[in-house]
Amino acid sequence: MIASLWQYVLAGIVAGAIYALIAAGFVLIYQVTGLINFAQGEFAMVGAMTAASLAATGMPPLAAAGIAVLAAALVGALCYLLAIRPARAATGVTLIFITLGLDVALRGAGLFVWGTNPYALEAFSRGRAITIFGGVLQPQALWVLGTDLLVFAALYLFFRYTYAGTAVRAAVANPPIASTFGIPLRTFAFWSFIAAAAIGGLGGVMVAPITQATYEMGLALGLAGFVAAVLGGLDSLPGALLGGFVLGIVQKVAGGLLSTGWEEGIGFLILVLVLVLRPQGLLGRAARRA
Amino acid sequence: MTASAPSATVLDVRGVTMRFGGVVALEDVGFAARGGEVLGVMGPNGAGKTTLFNVISGVQRPTRGEVALGGVRLTGRSVDRVAALGVTRTFQTPVMFRGLTVRESLAVALAAHESGGAYPPGPERGLLACGLGMRGRRRADAALAERADALLAGTALASMGDRPTETLAFGEERILELARALAVRPAVLLLDEPLSGLNPDEIQDVLDAVRAARADGIAVLLVEHAVGELLSVADRVVVLDHGRTIAQGTPAQVAADPVVIDAYIGDELE
Amino acid sequence: MKLSSQAYGPIGLLLAALVAAVVWVLPSSYTGLLTLIGLYGLVALGLNLFMGYAGQVSLGQAAFVGVGAYTSAALAVKTGLTPWLGTVAGALAAALVAYVLSFVALRLRENLLALATLALGIVINVVFNEWEFIGGSSGLKDIPGFALGGYVFDQRAYAVLAWLLFALGIWFAGNLVRSSFGRALIAISAGELGAQALGVDGERLRRQTFVLSAIYAGVAGAVYASVFSYIDPTSFGFVLSVNFVLMSVIGGIRSLWGALVGAAFVVVLGQVLRTVVPAVLPNARGEFQQFFFGVILIAILIWLPKGITSRLSEARRA
Repeated sequence: MIASLWQYVLAGIVAGAIYALIAAGFVLIYQVTGLINFAQGEFAMVGAMTAASLAATGMPPLAAAGIAVLAAALVGALCYLLAIRPARAATGVTLIFITLGLDVALRGAGLFVWGTNPYALEAFSRGRAITIFGGVLQPQALWVLGTDLLVFAALYLFFRYTYAGTAVRAAVANPPIASTFGIPLRTFAFWSFIAAAAIGGLGGVMVAPITQATYEMGLALGLAGFVAAVLGGLDSLPGALLGGFVLGIVQKVAGGLLSTGWEEGIGFLILVLVLVLRPQGLLGRAARRA
Repeated sequence: MTASAPSATVLDVRGVTMRFGGVVALEDVGFAARGGEVLGVMGPNGAGKTTLFNVISGVQRPTRGEVALGGVRLTGRSVDRVAALGVTRTFQTPVMFRGLTVRESLAVALAAHESGGAYPPGPERGLLACGLGMRGRRRADAALAERADALLAGTALASMGDRPTETLAFGEERILELARALAVRPAVLLLDEPLSGLNPDEIQDVLDAVRAARADGIAVLLVEHAVGELLSVADRVVVLDHGRTIAQGTPAQVAADPVVIDAYIGDELE
Repeated sequence: MKLSSQAYGPIGLLLAALVAAVVWVLPSSYTGLLTLIGLYGLVALGLNLFMGYAGQVSLGQAAFVGVGAYTSAALAVKTGLTPWLGTVAGALAAALVAYVLSFVALRLRENLLALATLALGIVINVVFNEWEFIGGSSGLKDIPGFALGGYVFDQRAYAVLAWLLFALGIWFAGNLVRSSFGRALIAISAGELGAQALGVDGERLRRQTFVLSAIYAGVAGAVYASVFSYIDPTSFGFVLSVNFVLMSVIGGIRSLWGALVGAAFVVVLGQVLRTVVPAVLPNARGEFQQFFFGVILIAILIWLPKGITSRLSEARRA
């Protein structure tokens, strides 16, 4: 019993690491634009499917992964330029619907390009599974956790130490003042989509060897990603990381103890509880008016 | 402070303190307003006037203190309950009901007043009666429209009942908002800078409406930057500065009070 | 006689009569599409009241359709209750679920309300999946159809029933939006604080409208279950909720006829795409029409944010 519980926790940590990457994308876009991007999960789908289909042609996995992340970033840029920017005068609910439309359109595009069959992607490294206190961790799990470490460290360094990062923080804190200082909010919005898409694509690439890649994987990943983001606090990157792990562990434990069908359900029950009891999330600042 | 028989007091503000984090917006503010008087609320920018209105109308809950109307505690009730009990207000920026005409906007107010205080409202005005198009409901709605027109007839908006609110000029928005507030026949009317942005004719209209409301026995609380107009219409004045009451009295007393002059000039020099 | 587009009830009946006439000459596959348009139109109508008039957002409307469908179907399969009463039960069940959820969801606005309704919709779908009593993931089959006296409904009768229900729905909604209730709803969504300051109880209005939209969805779901005689959890998932939003937005969220226009648009376009696209792209499989739906949703929101019907009525006014 305890042993299998521990195994669920390990599985949850790996899943949570993926959720954290997608959640980071949500947070980036929300911080800069105040927008909840319902299409976030599809960036992961684009990343996973591109990597898996390229690898299927014989390309080395790491090269395929690199191209996949670029492809996801490109898709992110196009989403912003074609759908978000032309509607910038729109109000909150309209923008929600637009990102919803993006989600649906990207999933449909994935279906056109890749069809309904799942693609497999080889793990990035061979080697034996690692045993931690009797629990088993596949080598791919280390890639996933390593990616998290790199991505979140890079985000931290960017926001802490670069001029652009400081400018973004200023712009988020006080948009009117920031624009009088010549901080280009619209450029930031553009780049936030690119960064969010690249990070989401990376998450997709990392998860593909674990779950396989299908055109419809983005929905579940995206939903889990924003449960994690809301859980941690929509405006907090550390919150995204924490929220991802909490959600992953809760899901896998609940799935293991109840039934796998509840994996998703439990996440959403948590989401609703958080929205009602603590809308700013675990690490978020006092609620921005949403 | 003017002595008054307790029975004549309509609105009672007692020891209201409002803090936002470390910032004190109101500190131990207290006063009473009687029906049939205009109480001016003065003070430089940031003195806490709008916060005071928010506390009285239930938009914000004070950190300490309470507001009561005719002995009934208002503090802790929602904005619509406070309104149903007889306190209504206007806003610095008029709140328009986009999508409705001028007449319909007034009808909303009249319908709300019709059910005012009765919670839940009777079946004759509920969702079912409206959706089923019951004859009683339809007749009552037609009567509301007629009453709305009658109210409009006395204002600068006469014959503008069919105009969508989107087409109104700023001054017309202010006048519609005031008409809406009067339509619910409040005991207390809070007016937040009702004169700003108006032309001289419109200012006269609003001041006339304020005097008419006073004659009807309404307690009017008036926040206004145009000090001359405020002193001309007010019966008594409360002066706030940095969240504290620094003076209370008749317009003449307040206008001559060195503390008040100091607060205004001091703030203008800053 | 001139019928204004505001004569919701009479025009609705007229359309139902028209449907009753054409189903005799229409191939049966088209009859099925007409039924779907009527039922989806009813759901979109409820959604328009909640989104367009009350100014809220729901990404979980398919779940209420599911509650109505499962309630009626389970009662019919397990107890033999007639679908007529099953539809009433389905509407009541959807209303009850919406009423309870409203205490959670309606405390939130915009972004967070969208998330909460989406989440609740998915949780309800998980319940459908995990509750073995109602068939779990394999759903319910052999759901009895409607009958009137000795006459068992065929596809033609269902099309007429669907459009009659839509006529009833739009008549009620039309009365509502032109009454003091509808005006108060618009006032609350346009200027919440301003309306509250007059004594309008916005929370109560929003809750009632939410429950009403769930009733519309529940009725449509209950009929849907009998029309197809088979339901499973995938019939009522997130994708369907998004399609309801699409119907609302295409027709214009503050237009009652827009709900029907949007439903017709989505149903017909979906059918056309399923016919045409595989002929051009033999590889196209699955729910590929969603791609076009997504693109159209974005395009409408950018260029016609008030929906197709807004352009029509502007043209008429000019």
